[in-house]
Formats: sequence, C-alpha cells, structure tokens
Amino acid sequence: MLKYIIKRLLMLIPVLIGVSIIVFVIMRVFSPDPAPIVLGQHATVEMANAWREVNGLNAPLHIQYFNFIKGVITGDLGHSYYTKTPVLEEIFARFPATIELAVSSILFASLFGIIIGAISAVKKNSVFDSAGMVTALIGVSMPIFWLGIILIIIFSGTLHILPSGGRADPLLQPATVTGFFLIDSLLTGNLQSFADTLVHLILPSCALGMYSMAIIARMTRSSMLETLEQDYIRTARAKGVTEGRVIRRHALRNALIPIVTVIGLQFGSLLGGAVLTETVFSWPGIGAYTVNCILKSDFPVVQGVVMLVAITFVIINLIVDVIYAFLDPRIKYSKKEA
Amino acid sequence: MENNTDNISAIQTTEVLEKPESQLREMWASLISNKGAVAGLIIIAILTFVAIFGKWLMPYDPNYSDMAISFQPPSTAHWFGTDQLGRDIFSRIIDGTHISLTVGLSAVAISLTIGTILGAVAGYRGGKTDAVIMRFMDMMLAIPSILLAIAFMAALGKGIDKAVIAIGLVSIPEYARIVRGCILSVKENDYVQAAKVVGNKDVRIVFKHIVPNILSSIVVRATLGISTAVLDTSALGFLGLGVQPPFAEWGDMLGRARGFIFSAPHTLVFPGIAITITVLAFNLLGDGLRDALDPKSRKI
Amino acid sequence: MNTVKRVFCVVLATVLLCLTFTACGSRQQSPTQASTDTLIFAQGAEPRGLDPALVDDGESSKVIVNIYEGLLKYAKDSTKLEPCLAESWDVSKDGLTYTFHLRKGVKFHDGTDFNAEAVKFNIERQMKGKATQDMSYADFVYGYVTKVEAVDEYTVVITLKDVCTPFLYNLAMSIAAPMVSPKALQDNNNNVNEHPVGTGPYKFVRWDKDQAVVLVRNDDYWGEKAKTKNVIFKIIKDNSARVVALNNGEVDMIDGIDATVVDQITKAGNVVDQPDGMNINYMAYNTTSPIFSKPENRKAFSQAINVPELVKSLYQGYASPADSILPSFVPGFAKDVKQVAYDPEAAKAALAKAGITSVHMITYSNPRPYNTATGQALAEAVQGYLSKVGVTCNIEVFDWTTYKQKIKAGDYDICFYGWTGDNGDPDNFMALLSDKDPTMNVARYDNPQYNELIAKGKATPEGPERDDIYAQLEKIQADQNPWLLVSHSKLLSAYSPKVQGYYYHVTGNVFLSGMSKNK
Repeated sequence: MLKYIIKRLLMLIPVLIGVSIIVFVIMRVFSPDPAPIVLGQHATVEMANAWREVNGLNAPLHIQYFNFIKGVITGDLGHSYYTKTPVLEEIFARFPATIELAVSSILFASLFGIIIGAISAVKKNSVFDSAGMVTALIGVSMPIFWLGIILIIIFSGTLHILPSGGRADPLLQPATVTGFFLIDSLLTGNLQSFADTLVHLILPSCALGMYSMAIIARMTRSSMLETLEQDYIRTARAKGVTEGRVIRRHALRNALIPIVTVIGLQFGSLLGGAVLTETVFSWPGIGAYTVNCILKSDFPVVQGVVMLVAITFVIINLIVDVIYAFLDPRIKYSKKEA
Repeated sequence: MENNTDNISAIQTTEVLEKPESQLREMWASLISNKGAVAGLIIIAILTFVAIFGKWLMPYDPNYSDMAISFQPPSTAHWFGTDQLGRDIFSRIIDGTHISLTVGLSAVAISLTIGTILGAVAGYRGGKTDAVIMRFMDMMLAIPSILLAIAFMAALGKGIDKAVIAIGLVSIPEYARIVRGCILSVKENDYVQAAKVVGNKDVRIVFKHIVPNILSSIVVRATLGISTAVLDTSALGFLGLGVQPPFAEWGDMLGRARGFIFSAPHTLVFPGIAITITVLAFNLLGDGLRDALDPKSRKI
Repeated sequence: MNTVKRVFCVVLATVLLCLTFTACGSRQQSPTQASTDTLIFAQGAEPRGLDPALVDDGESSKVIVNIYEGLLKYAKDSTKLEPCLAESWDVSKDGLTYTFHLRKGVKFHDGTDFNAEAVKFNIERQMKGKATQDMSYADFVYGYVTKVEAVDEYTVVITLKDVCTPFLYNLAMSIAAPMVSPKALQDNNNNVNEHPVGTGPYKFVRWDKDQAVVLVRNDDYWGEKAKTKNVIFKIIKDNSARVVALNNGEVDMIDGIDATVVDQITKAGNVVDQPDGMNINYMAYNTTSPIFSKPENRKAFSQAINVPELVKSLYQGYASPADSILPSFVPGFAKDVKQVAYDPEAAKAALAKAGITSVHMITYSNPRPYNTATGQALAEAVQGYLSKVGVTCNIEVFDWTTYKQKIKAGDYDICFYGWTGDNGDPDNFMALLSDKDPTMNVARYDNPQYNELIAKGKATPEGPERDDIYAQLEKIQADQNPWLLVSHSKLLSAYSPKVQGYYYHVTGNVFLSGMSKNK
C-alpha cells in the first residue's frame, strides 16, 4: 500500500508539469494583455510597454516559462500584478474559506443524501421513495447559481432569518489560527463566533451541496436495494433478526462502500462548483477570486491557483482510492492504474 | 460544471457481448416501458420542436426592445413579462431554446468525437500511446473544468461558437476514459481476436467490431453529457462570458436579471425554470437509457 | 467492523452539527446591529490596495480617504478647493512656483512627524525616474513637477516645468496625492498596500481578503476626532445581496446600487442618497472610419436616438440626460449648450440618402460607474432605435480588459465609453477629445481648433476667461458630434436612518469621520 501511495505521488510530477504548460499557454498566449487593466484610466502605450518589460512579459515564451518554473521550484510564485501582494499570500488568505465551504457542503450532502437514499430504498415504491427520487432528480438538474439566488430570496430577502452572504460577521470573526473559522472559534473558545460562522455556512452549503446530495441519495438507494437482495440479508431475516437491525447492521453497512467512493469523487468536483456558489454568496474563497483574476489577466495568481487546485484534486483522488481499498479488502492495487 | 464523474455509469463498464442490433432493440423496448425516460423523451421532442419552429411560435421579436415598457410583470400581452430593455421574455426563452440545444449538442459532438478517437487509439494501441494520451487526459481532469472553460472563454472572447469549443474541449477526457475502458474489456473477446487473426486492418477492426459494441455506453454518457453541457453553457452565460448580444441565452438572461431579484423577480424565475426543465429531460432520458442498458439495474 | 462504527460516528456527528445549524439559525441576531460604536459600509468590490500611489480604483479610494489626507481637500458638496495638511499656499506670477505652508503638529499613525521632508518624500517617490511603472496616476498628478524643496520644517516649494492650472486640483485627489508616512514606505519596500499609515481620522487595523477592511478611530487626530470608534468596509460583491444586507441590518451603508433596487430599499425604511456624479456616459463615433469621418452622418445617427427616453428607461431616473460634457457643478459648465434633437424622420432620410444600412459596434459587458446598466444594455437600446431608421448594428461585447485592446486596435464604427472625473477640473473632461492616445480619445477626434483651445485652457488661470474657453469647447462638440452624449449618472448609495451625518462626495468617496449611529 505504501509503495502504491508513493508511486501515485510521484505520478503527480508529470501531471503538474502538464498542467503548468496548459495554463501557461492559455494565459500567456491567448489571454488579453494585463497592462491596460493594471495601469488604469491614464495608461499610455509607453507606460504599458515599460510595465511589460519590468514584468518579463516581453521576453520570448520559453524564457517566460523557464522563469515561472524556476519560481515554482524555489517556492516563489511571484506577485499579483494587480495588488502587488505575493501570490501565496493572496491564495492562503482565501483557500481555507473554500475548503471550509466544500467540507460543510459534503457533510450536508452525505447526511441528507444517505438518509433520503436509505429511506427510499427501504420504503421502495412508497410516496416517500418517489418524492425523494424526484427531489434528487431536480437537484441534479438545477443550476447551482439559480438555486443560490432563490435561497437568498426566500431565507434572507423574505424571511430575514439567514445572512445573505459573507463568511462571518466582521466583528465576530475569530482570531486567525488555522484560517478555518469553525476550528479557530473553537480553539479560542469563542462560541458566539462558532454559531455565527455556522449560520453563514447554511445557505451556501445547501446550494453547493444540493447536486452532490442528489447523487449520493440515488447512489445510496441503488446500492442499498442491491444489498437488500443479497443472500446473507435473506438469511438474517430468516433467522428472525428485526427489520431495523437488518437495515442498520447489514444492509447500510455494505452499501456504504460505493457511497464513500461517490462522496470522495463529489468532493473533487465541489472545488469547481465553488466558483459559482462563491460568486452568488460573496464567499471570500478562492473560486470567485480566480474568476476575477482570469478576467483581469492576472497571470501569476491564475497559474498559482490552478497548480494548487490540481495538487489538491490529485491528492483527494488518491485518498479516495486508499479509503476504497481500506473499506473493501477485495480490491488490490496492481501495477495497472486505478 | 457541475459534476462530471456523476453516477455509477462511469464505474460500470458493462460487459457487452450481444450483437449490437438486437441489443439496441432490447434497449428501446425497455426504454419505452420506463415512465421517466418517456417523459424525458416527450420534453425533448417538445424542446426540439420549439427550437426549430420557434420563430413562428414567438409572439414578438425576441430582440426588439421598447424602452417604454421595460420590466413589465407577466400579463396577457407578455406572458412572462418584459426585461430591462422592454423585450418579451417569453419570446426570448423560446429563442434561447435554440441556443441551448445547439450548444449542448455541438459541444457533446466535439467532445464525443475527439474523446472517442483518443480513447479508442489509447485503448486499442496500448503501450506508450496509451500512456501519453491518458496522462494528458489526467492533466486536463486535474483542472476544474469550469476554470478551464472560463479561461478559454476569456482568451477566445464571447460567442456561441466559442462557448461550444470551450465546453466541448473540457469534457473530452471523460469520453476518452470511458471509451478506453470499454475497449480494454472488449479487446480480448474472441471475435475481435478472430478478426485480428484473419488479418483485418486495425482501423477496420476498431470501427467494425469494437465501436458498435461500446456504442450503448457512449449513448448513455452523451445523453447525460448534453445536460451537463446545457448547465455549463448557462454557467458561462451567468458569469457574463456567454453569447454575443442581442442573442437570448438563458444563463445570460439570468446573470443580467440578478441585479433585479427584488424589483423584477419574473426576469429571474423563467430562465431558471427553462434551464432546469431542459437539463431534467436529458437526465431522465439518460437514466432511462442506462437502466435499459444495464439489466441489473432494470430489475430495480 | 470498526470501520463501520467509525463511519457511523461521523454520520452521528454530522447530525448533531446540523441540529446546531438549525438551532442557531432561527434565533440568530447579528451583534453588530445593536452596537452604535461601529459603522459598516458595504461596497461591491475589494480595494485593489491601500497605498494611494499604487491604486486607481474607487473601492480603494473610499477606504484611503479615511486613513490618509492630502495637502488640499475638496469642499463637502463640490470640487472647490479647501486647505487640509497645507494651511495655505501661494502661486508665483508666472504660475510655475507653488509654495505650501504646512499645518504644524500633525503626526502620522506610526508616531512620526508630518513635515516638509515627508511631503518631499511622497512627491519624489512618484516623480519621473523614481516612479514605478504601475503608479498609474503618478504622471497625471505630478508629471509637471520638476523640483520639490523643503525650505524649512513646514514650508515646501514645488516648481513646475509648465503652467498647469489643474495642478492644485490634483493635490486634493484621493489617489496619488494623499501623504503616506515615509517610515512606513521604507519599512515596507515602497509598497504600503497592506500596511497603510497616514494622518487621517482613522487608523488601519486589519484587512481580511475579500471580506472586510477594519479601521479604528485615530485618537491623536489633529482636527475634530471621528464620532464613531470603529469603521468596517465590508465587501459584498453581489448587488442584490448588498441590498439584502442593508435591509436586514447587517450593514449600515451601501453603494454600487442601481435604480431598480431603490424601491426595495425605501420600502424597508432605509434612505437612498443620490447626488449628481462627476462623470459622463457617451457613445463615440470613430471619426476615422469611412462612415463617421463625415460630420453629417454623425449628426444623422444622433438624431435617430431618443436620448431622454433611453436614459429614463435604462436608468429609471437615476441618471440625467446629458446636454454637456461637463457636469453642472464643475467650473466651465455652459448652460446654453444643446445637443442634436431627436428627429427620426430626418435621420431616416439622411441615412437613406447616404446609403448606410449597417454599422459595427463594440461595447463592454461590465457595469461602470457612469453606466450602471452595462455597456451591453446601452448598446442594445441604441440598436433598437437604429433598427427603426433602417440601420442594423453588429454588436460585439467584451469584458473591460479585452475591450480596451479592441479600442486600441480601432476596428469599430461606434463604441461606448465614459469618464469619471479625477480632479474636478474642466480640462480633465474636455481634453479627452484632443488626446493623442486612442484609448483615451476613443472617437479618434482630431480638430486643430479644438486642440488649440485645450492648450490655452490649461495655461489660463482660473476665472471667467478660462470658463469661457470650456464653453467654446462644449459648443464645438455639440456642432460636430464626435460623441453622442448619453447621461450623467447619479451616485446612488443608501443608508440606514440610524446613521447621522451621512454624505457621499461627488468624487465617489465617503468620509466617515463625521458620521455617527443612533440606537
């Protein structure tokens, strides 16, 4: 297993090199010139040229790429063109917000997805089953951003019970330790801040988690149904084990294996969905920020973010595979890729 | 882009050993016994009809703006009301059907074609070719597809054609992976081996024997892929990267209505419903197809 | 089997977590609502930075004016000049030497003294040769300066290379002109974007990226101390969400709103503020294109568009149709100048005669301060009018960055643009039509008579003679129509009735030190 993990981590290197080339080409070859936006209303052609010279954008492409890679290796991703702040600083000021949102969405999605799916399977063909599955179907068909706006209209604009956006009340924000507000507020013993953070998380988590919840519900239902038909379940029933116990101890347990995989896969895709959710909810995360930077041609930031996200994505995939193997001993990793 | 790795279909590289024709016929029979799939088919038929004959169904020119009647709520004259520029939203939704379906289908056509070719080559040739192609696909998968599509759009500029390219390109790896997976499982079958022994050319073997066999998985994937593409298009439109004006695109309509959610909520409700219904229809059909294809899930 | 137990534990924990969620949800009350010692202002975008020399955006300058001050400042309701860190100033007869007498006893937030050396340091930092490329306003504000001398502790003498009447106006701007602590600049590698130190009524506390900038009262302020202790600039990007936040009492003041939400805000009992803004929103004809090199074609197009109706429906009364380039409160504003009147019949005849059936239009997708409805909506509205006189428009829309490149490339018949005044001087607006840079002069207009008058206006000292020059320039524009003037947009902001002393300056800045909040 360890050997397999090391091998997978080594495979990260060519993937990262490839990713860096893709991003580099899209940004530097095809994207608009950043100089006018950096220099603003009074920029002249000469000023723009001088600025490009200083920032190495007049050099041949391969030299630019070489400089970029040199930076990556020495841990220097450069400065944002627009704010002049080091890229890593900009990224790490926002990354925890996105992770916190993604984790809370996946918790929301797993919890309700498993509950809805399990009940639907047990009460197959009942009203609940149909209702649950119709909800799941609509859940995968609604655009995230539309759902988000509708939630804001209902819970914030009409009922006034939940905040419309943002991550926390600025005055209640916990002291920064890890950057994750839920953890920080507990570490500093600030319960009011913990509650405030939770309240701010509800709507964005629902919007972002809805799609995954629907997928997980459907997955849970079908894998539970499959398990319920297995011989050992029939045996357990025949032995007089109560129905509730059969479902909890036997059916759900075995159905969990494929569900965990799906949850893992969903987590990776949430990073993408975060772009839209963050835009709608003014969430101070990396997704909405990156879109902004793409539109401003802030090359160093976009390059940095994409590299970081690629690493995260690959690592999450690895973790999913490892958990999968851990849960289901039948799977052994051979030399073939997983 | 919502999620690509959805559903179980990616996992189940179904054993497809029957003759393709009979298999398709059986699929169809099972499909029309599935209520959801039939509903999906009917909605798609209606949408297609609207997309083709929409010009004659619209009560107004969708791009005609009359500033004197901006932001009218729904009424008998304007069923869905009017937007900021006094354009009839009902007509614009109808007009948007055409764009959404066109983008959805063309984007899937692009990713399907390129993905199938890449996946087929990788799976059939194996070895170094396989490694190179699939590593490249891994790289693309490691970048969230929405960021990739946004970057493409930012680089290419607005336009339907560009949206098609951006959305088509980012979903190539999925198809490549599925096709490669199918091919690996079909390749070792007796009749393929036999064809090889008889001395058929590689290309001929791939298209004559292997492609028909993996057709069904691809059809399922592509149907679900259309729904993803429609969602992606609307997401790009919502972020202001969609079509050139004055074309009506649902996501674009939503993005521009966003500033008016309290003063003119009708501008926001209808495009959202249109997107949801379209995506839902393709999801229903895709699910039906998958169930029809996979006898195991059919029982359930 | 342990695994399964663990998984169940996780699920159980999640259930508990979610119960907490819903439990807090129903009875949550924002604590900042109650406190009267904190003012929260929500804006639509993050400041670019807090170093006045390194930014060019309104979102930054709103924060900057509360931390920093310049030598001069604007009056509360106009762009008239008033003393600030300079108590008085003298201009030499030839208009080339300015002597500033500084206020005594002023300290920067880091405890260092504000004096002549600090002024010299701040200006020299932005002079030619020393300024870095991304100090985008350095040339605009200090381009004419050749020498800065600290004559004594509180006297500074600035020498210009040429007469430049707008120079004094520049020194009151919120960009480039505010004075930064030289020590802070030395400590932070000549970039105080994230470590601002000024002399103003508020001190910087912290900046949570994409969330909020937090300031606290400067208790050692030289003037009247700020009324409210804490100030937070909260970043809420979505326009509707910002409105909801105000109506829910999460924030006290917001800006960056458009006309459509005004009802929503007033219904909730909040107040909308709408002074005229220092801006112009216009459509430019490319005077180097085959169609629009002829003034009569420009006139015919202008006749085809019903500007008052368009402005009314597009901006719902929160912008006024523009009859002159200059807003009414800027010196040099000419009351009697009128633009071409709406006359679709005449336009149709003229266009049919000239055989013009289609034009190529480019526009921008973003809302701009002078055009909250976005360039796309404006272009589509114009397209509607032109279709009525038999002209089809091919519109291309670009995001702002790309748009500027397209403007530079010059492949268009018509484009949309606008200008937000920098310093309240008429030259700042009128000189656009004589600028050599095509990204400034988007009509690519080149009229020797116009250019001559611009040069004359720049060298003439303030007074009726100078005002008359700008009135003449307005008249040339109205006759020749290189632009179709659309509107002057109002500066829409809104605040809770609890806030006392609210005002939004014509430059788009909010000075919070005079505001307070009732229970």
